[in-house]
Amino acid sequence: MRQRIGVYICHCGGNISDYVDVEELSKMFHEEDGVVVSKDVMFACADSNQKAMVEDIQKYNLDAIVVASCSPKLHLHTFRAVAGRAGLNPNNYVQVNIREQCSWPHSDRPREATVKAAGLIRAGINRVAYSEALDSIEIEVKKAVMVIGAGISGMKAAIDLARAGNEVYLVEKDYFVGGHIAQQEKLFMTGQSGKEIVKKLYDEIKTYKNITVFTGATIGKVTGSLGSFNIEIKVKPRYINGKMDKQSVKRVMDDCPVTVRDAFNEGLTTRKAIYKNYPEALPDVPVVDMGALRDHPDFLEKHKAVINPNEQEETIALLAGSVLVTTGFDNYEPKEGEFGYQQIPNVITLPQLNRLMELSPEKLVYNGKEIKSVAFIYCVGSRQKKGDNKYCSRQCCTSTMYTALQLKEKYGKIQNYHLYRDIRTYGKQEILYDRASKQGDLFFKYEEKEMPTVEMNGKTITLKVKDYLTSKKEMEIAPDLVVLVTGMVARADAPHISELFKIPIGNDRFFNEIHPKLKPVETVIKGVYIGGTCQGPKNVSESVQSSLAGASKITALLKSGTVMGDPVVARVDADVCTWCGKCAEVCDYTAIREIVTEAGKHIAGVNRGVCTGCGICAPVCPVNAIEVAKYTDHEIEAMIDGFAAAVEISEEKASAVSEEKEDFVAAHMREYPQIWKDILDTLDTEKKTIPEVADILKIAPEMVTWHLMTMNKYGVVSPAGTNEKEEYYYYKMK
Amino acid sequence: MAKVNPEFAKELTKYGVDDFNACFNCGNCTATCSLSTNDSSFPREMVRYTTLGLEDELRSSLKPWECYYCGECSKECPRQANPGELMMSLRRWLTAQYDWTGLSGLLYRSLTLSIAALLLVAAGVFFFARSVNFEAETLLHTGHRFEMLAIATVFLVIFVPNLLRMWYFTVVKNGVKAPLKSYVTALSELFIHMFTQKKAKDCDEKDNFRWLEHMVLVFAYLSLLFTTVFLNWFGTESLFVVVLGYVESLLIFVITVHFVSGRIKRNKALNTFSQPSDWLFVIWLLLMGLTAFVVRLFIDLHILENNIWMYLIHLTVLAQWALIIVPFGKWTHFLYRSFGLYFVKIKAMQKS
Repeated sequence: MRQRIGVYICHCGGNISDYVDVEELSKMFHEEDGVVVSKDVMFACADSNQKAMVEDIQKYNLDAIVVASCSPKLHLHTFRAVAGRAGLNPNNYVQVNIREQCSWPHSDRPREATVKAAGLIRAGINRVAYSEALDSIEIEVKKAVMVIGAGISGMKAAIDLARAGNEVYLVEKDYFVGGHIAQQEKLFMTGQSGKEIVKKLYDEIKTYKNITVFTGATIGKVTGSLGSFNIEIKVKPRYINGKMDKQSVKRVMDDCPVTVRDAFNEGLTTRKAIYKNYPEALPDVPVVDMGALRDHPDFLEKHKAVINPNEQEETIALLAGSVLVTTGFDNYEPKEGEFGYQQIPNVITLPQLNRLMELSPEKLVYNGKEIKSVAFIYCVGSRQKKGDNKYCSRQCCTSTMYTALQLKEKYGKIQNYHLYRDIRTYGKQEILYDRASKQGDLFFKYEEKEMPTVEMNGKTITLKVKDYLTSKKEMEIAPDLVVLVTGMVARADAPHISELFKIPIGNDRFFNEIHPKLKPVETVIKGVYIGGTCQGPKNVSESVQSSLAGASKITALLKSGTVMGDPVVARVDADVCTWCGKCAEVCDYTAIREIVTEAGKHIAGVNRGVCTGCGICAPVCPVNAIEVAKYTDHEIEAMIDGFAAAVEISEEKASAVSEEKEDFVAAHMREYPQIWKDILDTLDTEKKTIPEVADILKIAPEMVTWHLMTMNKYGVVSPAGTNEKEEYYYYKMK
Repeated sequence: MAKVNPEFAKELTKYGVDDFNACFNCGNCTATCSLSTNDSSFPREMVRYTTLGLEDELRSSLKPWECYYCGECSKECPRQANPGELMMSLRRWLTAQYDWTGLSGLLYRSLTLSIAALLLVAAGVFFFARSVNFEAETLLHTGHRFEMLAIATVFLVIFVPNLLRMWYFTVVKNGVKAPLKSYVTALSELFIHMFTQKKAKDCDEKDNFRWLEHMVLVFAYLSLLFTTVFLNWFGTESLFVVVLGYVESLLIFVITVHFVSGRIKRNKALNTFSQPSDWLFVIWLLLMGLTAFVVRLFIDLHILENNIWMYLIHLTVLAQWALIIVPFGKWTHFLYRSFGLYFVKIKAMQKS
């Protein structure tokens, strides 16, 4: 129990004291048990008051403090620091919010506001009496990072992490690195080839000894927490004898009799069952599609020197201090019949068109027909009011514009039609829209409630769209090719990753950050970060930006080898706990597991590095053996008692706040704050207007207005007529 | 159902414009236009129809005739798509559409053809003059007769059928069935617009001078026509008629010089993009005023007999004017615009 408590009740320059009788309260809490100092102060946050508090703590040997002022969001850290400076444990401090919770919302009933404030302050005093001197938890962290997904985001992040001295494990599910950008012949806005970028990054990665790349690898099992994640990865076999020279492998590839659908080319072509995604794909080792070759024992026998059908999957255990998830996205796959997809021959998706363009250097031919006109239908699989994907996929408008420009640049005479809902070529990308419309592309605006329709009329496609730009007239277009501009969706394996690392998934099925603005790459799991499109639709630049942000956060986190954690975590009373496992069941963060004490007793053990102090375990414990520091039963019950206790404030006293108080305030005002003194100095010799004062003090006129109005209210200054033009009032000292 | 035809945009560029494709349909042009109303909103709609190549919609529209080209829309356009010039080009295109001979379209699209036609007429005049041995008496007489004949023929053979076509495209085809009574009641509208260009005043409120100038030119031109054809200016002895002719031709000359210099200086939006048809129209009008003035001066100085070349020049300009520029050139906007507004009025009466 804390017995020497200091209580500070803030006027907030009238914000509180206009409605809550702070003086009465400060007198009242003088009498409170355990309270040694009780003061009302004009601005608790002012430097002078902070100094006074430190002096009080030392002079009266205080062991806990309560500040009744504004929201803890504003000044919790201010007063924690005050406690710290005075040699008190910052956790022996409680902030009570009597501004947002009393004076502001109850300005119509000052008496009740005062009663409520009294209850809250008493609750605060009771709580602080039970407060413990808690110290931050120190967690040791290993300077190793696992980056999951070797697309552009993951590769860039891996390089940055390695450069900062971390051990990096770059894990890629596919057999080749690069992800989606390898499928792009040219990337907006620079026109660079995706494959070139992939090669450049891979070459750079190879120069770092502290990056290990695993391809064909998936995540198996994850245990541990911030500082030491134990992760098992499974590396699938390539079935290629690694000792063979490239020429022999090439010969076997050429000899391969089996062809299968080429997923890298979005099914536009087929590939051999021994393959690379594209000739320059990295790492430069082909893969045997054993599923497709099992039925060809003769072939396997013939080339047994090169192909090893018995190669096994390998499991590797890695230890990482932190994890960066950059698993990326899947392209939305239109449903069969969605705008004629898979039913009408010349209906394809934008990713397919991009592959088709790279595969067609001279003429654009599809299904044996030369393409002279292309109609793009935007927002396919995005912005669905009724469907699952409510979001905008962000990059598709720009991607389409760029493709339309490429079409014309590469193949000459091609007419593009754009059927859009809204054009979102934000930022610098607007130039592409401008260029597309100036090159003669036609734009039609449709609405989700009146979707365009695609029909086959003999040998030609008839595309009908109700065009909102032409007073909803129904337009008929006959394009050679219809391209569905498909958006981004969360990867099919995102739930699996989410389950392994406990990363929350949003309604959109992408991974969730903690806060879109303030913690944009952090997840609720300490040490696990997200970057790139696994978090939501982004273009390449934005993906790289976010993954690099994640890399920087991780570098900063692991830098010192230890991490300080918040002491507000769950703790178990070993004597009481009987290990029923209920707490472990409800814990969202798998922070609790069964441990055996030295005495041989089975109890619940809390991983303090993982626990977030959410408190869900405490109420489910049948024997009350688990509690969260700072939120113990003692503290909570004492708070309730304190708030429920009767408060004696008479009617007259509350209303008598007025005049008497104003004199008091005026007297004290002169001592505080510095800006008031400065303002008064300027008014010392003659009256001045607000702009004049602002000019002399070199501060914003709004600032002067705010303070002068308050000073006027408390009678420190008074108006003295207007200036000649009658624009501004003069103010003078009273 | 309307079929999209991107080729039309290329066709229209032959009539002047080429940048309307930059339009992203913001509607600033319509918002800024002082003549556009809720019932009849332009120019965005016209830009849109053009981009998509909806020829039927354009051919049946009277909106291009409601625009007097103040140029505000082009100034406000955030994409420099130049809607004002598009409206102008549409008027040229419509003129070609109304013309049953198809010559308007040919001449609008090809400067070479226009020059060839002008040369052909000049050659015709020259050979005719040679066939009568450059006799002043015969030439003057034939010139006068030609004028009357040309007016009647152009009116009956070209204008009447073309106006009927215009009426068919814009009124009949749009399903407007107006009683004869409204055609009569609306006549006042026709003449007001024909002679005063009343609406142009609403177009650019700051600049009434241009409107006034244009109106004076219209009156001067029409009365000079009347003076030469019916009062036989070149043959008359009446001092009043002689002076009247001088004043009229001088007015035409002065105003057209001002117009030409405006087009050279590009001092207004409407002067910024001059097509060959614009130059021909204004320059020939200028030449008409000038040569008529000089011819009468020669007559009054009694030197025409010995300087019959002067009259030949005038006759050439006159023939080119009457046979090419009036029936197939920009002159027709005088008729189509006023009839356009006449039809608009009839349609509006029908609606209410």
